[in-house]
Formats: sequence, structure tokens, C-alpha cells
Amino acid sequence: MKKWGLFALAALLVVALAACGKKDSGSGAKVYKFATDAAYSPMELMDKDKVVGFDADFLDAVMKEAGLDYQLVNTGWDPMLQSVKDGKEYAGGISSVSITDERKQTYDYSAPYFESTNMILSKAGSGLKTGQDLKDKKVAVQISTTADTIMSDIMGKDNTNLKRFDSNALAFTEMESGGVDAVVADVAIVGEYLKQHPDKNLEGNLDPSFPSEFYGILLPKGSDLKAKIDPAIKKVLESGKYAEIYKKWIGKEPNVQNVLNAK
Amino acid sequence: MDFRFDIIYDYAPLFLRGTLLTIGISLLGILFGSILGLVIGIGKMSPKRYLNLPTSAYINFFRGTPLLVQVYIVHFGIIPPIYGSTNVIVAAIVALSLNSAAYTAEIYRAGIQSIDKGQREAAYSLGMTHRQAMRHIIIPQAIKRMIPAFGNEFIVLIKDSSIVSVIAAPELMYWGKVMQTQYYRIWEPYLTAAAIYFVLTYSLSKLLAYLERKV
Repeated sequence: MKKWGLFALAALLVVALAACGKKDSGSGAKVYKFATDAAYSPMELMDKDKVVGFDADFLDAVMKEAGLDYQLVNTGWDPMLQSVKDGKEYAGGISSVSITDERKQTYDYSAPYFESTNMILSKAGSGLKTGQDLKDKKVAVQISTTADTIMSDIMGKDNTNLKRFDSNALAFTEMESGGVDAVVADVAIVGEYLKQHPDKNLEGNLDPSFPSEFYGILLPKGSDLKAKIDPAIKKVLESGKYAEIYKKWIGKEPNVQNVLNAK
Repeated sequence: MDFRFDIIYDYAPLFLRGTLLTIGISLLGILFGSILGLVIGIGKMSPKRYLNLPTSAYINFFRGTPLLVQVYIVHFGIIPPIYGSTNVIVAAIVALSLNSAAYTAEIYRAGIQSIDKGQREAAYSLGMTHRQAMRHIIIPQAIKRMIPAFGNEFIVLIKDSSIVSVIAAPELMYWGKVMQTQYYRIWEPYLTAAAIYFVLTYSLSKLLAYLERKV
């Protein structure tokens, strides 16, 4: 008798799983699923159970322009990288991913859609204004950001005075605890932090020699989606829609021409 | 699946450095954890409330909260006031030792209490004092029973040391994350790190098996 019970349970599970599977594929038009790591405010973050932020609004505008159905899912960073590489379930990833040559060996990118610059955050009066000032200092960055790349180039990839944290929040806490002299992070994120902590006597400095990097939508190698969304990205950039989204999340006017000219 | 050995080769020196640090913090964590654990284990076995209560609370706290949180508390909350600034290596060793102490304390206690009461009574009836009975009869038998449990704890500790990569301690997992960052590939860095962790834990388990036969 017991065996039959188990068998029934297994059969029930199989039916339930099959039912779940159907929901995804049975809805007619193709739904492109995009993965993100929604922990990078204001670019992408979670509002309760919904992904919001600059990237979410931008993707929405692009997919509407291209006339495609899509779904944006918060998968976390590593799962996003792997599932986009596989290209089976997820058609792409959008998560402030900067375009670099090393990464192009594994992925395709959409046209660039965002210019990223970095800012140096330090105690006011510390005199740490440029990347070269930081060369022999202790610096915290968020791992896998452009700040990480820039500071790795200046300080050396294997320099242990360059501390890479999982999040900018941890990097900022490290500076408050006296573990590092400065944090390098995206200007939008440093700006947000300065705004929230006016009493901490901090300053942010832009180093004009920091190279700009550009974000692209991460696509699997050989993806046919690129041909569909690149024209849509161009249209969204040229229309006022892009500036509107930019102002909403970043709080200032974008330099659209720089993004359009980027390769 | 395409698997790029060239980028692993590129990162080999960093993996090596990370491995040495992983071995270092794990060994010190095991050492300090075992010493502190002995003190706490003895405290917990004591019938005196002022010894028993704090040690029980210690064990419950460190076994009942995630190591990740403990690492943050030690790194950002405990080390800076004492040391003046953060120090990842010290924080990593302290957090692992404190955590490990809670588990080893229970291993000591369980090992000693697992020895049948009759053994102790027999020792007393031979005219041994409590101290003599412990030293010649109870402890030697208990140690034999503790070894497998210690082996397990040490292996878990080596793998758990990977958590300190969250405070940017440049150990094995940290360099795996750095490599992941540069290429945005996950299998090469993580499988390489996993293979090295496996070699470390497997060698340790062999060493412990040898010890188990010897004792």
C-alpha cells in the first residue's frame, strides 16, 4: 500500500511540474526573459518584489520600441552571467554591465546605452583627488564594477591594498571603520551616499583621467536579438525618453551624444 | 562546454597566494578555536551556574547565527574599536576561531560525556581521585571518540573560510571572484577554487584517518 502512496505522490509531482512548465511556453508570442542583479541602486534595485531602476525603465522603453514582449527577473549576479551565456532560458541580461574586450570573448553586447564615470569618495581635506593619489593608499571598491577595473589598472590586480567588496555599502562601511582611505564608485552611487550622509564630512572628487566605460545589454554569443534591439536603443536614446528616464533616476541631464558615439 | 584553461593559467599565481592565506587562516582558526573551545566546553560541563550560563549562551549564539553575520560583526564592530582600524586577516581569524570554538566545545563535551558512567565508578573504586580518573580512564577514551568529530569540524571550517571573501580577505574564494569579475565567466574561477578546496580537505581527512588509526 505504501508503495502506491509514493507512486501517487510522484505522479502528482510530475503533473504539477508539467503544469508549471506549460505556463512559460504556451502563451503564444515569444517572451524574452532578461536577467538582472537588482542590488545596484539607482541603476537596478528591488521595490518589494518588483525590479525597478534606470535599467528597468530603459529596457522597458527599448522593448516597447522594438515591439517585443519581455520579462525582467532578478536572478543575482552569477546566475545571470551563466544563464545569459547559456542563452536558453534568458535572452539577455541588463545590470549595469560595462563593455570590455575580455568579456566580449564570452558575450555579445547590445549597443552602448549608458556612460559610466567614477568618483573618489574620501574624508574631506584628505587631498585624494585623482586615481594616482590613491596609488599607495588603501582603497575599497565594489567587485566587478568599472571602479574595480580602473583601480586594478592603477594599483595592480594583485595589490591587497585594493579591497574588493560584494557591495558598495560594504565598501563605504569599510571606509567608516578606518580600513581604507577612499572608495571609488559610480558617480551616481557616490552622489547618493553624499546626499544621505551630509554630517560625515566627506567629499567626492571626479578624476577626468578616469576612462569612461559604457554599459551594454549582455547577450549570448551569436544572439539574433542584437539586430532587433540595437535600432530600438538608438531610437530611445535619440528621443526624449532616454533623458526623461535618466533625470528620473540619476537626477541630471545625460550626455546622449557620448553614448551614441561610443562603440 | 567551452572551458578556458588559459585564463586559469593566468590567475594561477593569485590562486596560489589565496590558497596559502586560506591554509593560514584555517589552521589558526582551528588552533585558536580548539583551545577556546576546550575552555568553553569545560565551562559548559561545570555544574556551577556562573560558568555554565555564559558558556552555554556563547555556544547557542555562535551555533545559532550565520557565520556571515558573525564575520561582519567581528570585522566592522569588534576589530575597529580594539585595533584602531579594520584588519581583514585578524578579523577572519578571530571570526573563524570564535565560531569554531562553539562547535569544538560541544565536541569536547559530547566526547567526555559519551564515556559510560561505569568507567568512572570503576576508577573510583580502584581508589583513583577525580583527576586521576579523568586523566587515565576517561580522557584517553574520549579523545578517540572525538577525532572523527574534530575531523568533520576542521573540514567544515576550511570550506567556511571562503565566507571571509565578503570582507575582501584575499583568500582563495576572493581571487576566484576577482577572476570572475574580469572575464564574467563563472565555471573557470569557481571550479578551480572548488578543486583546490577539495585537495585541502581531502588531504586533511587522510591525515585525520591516519591519526585515528594511530591513537
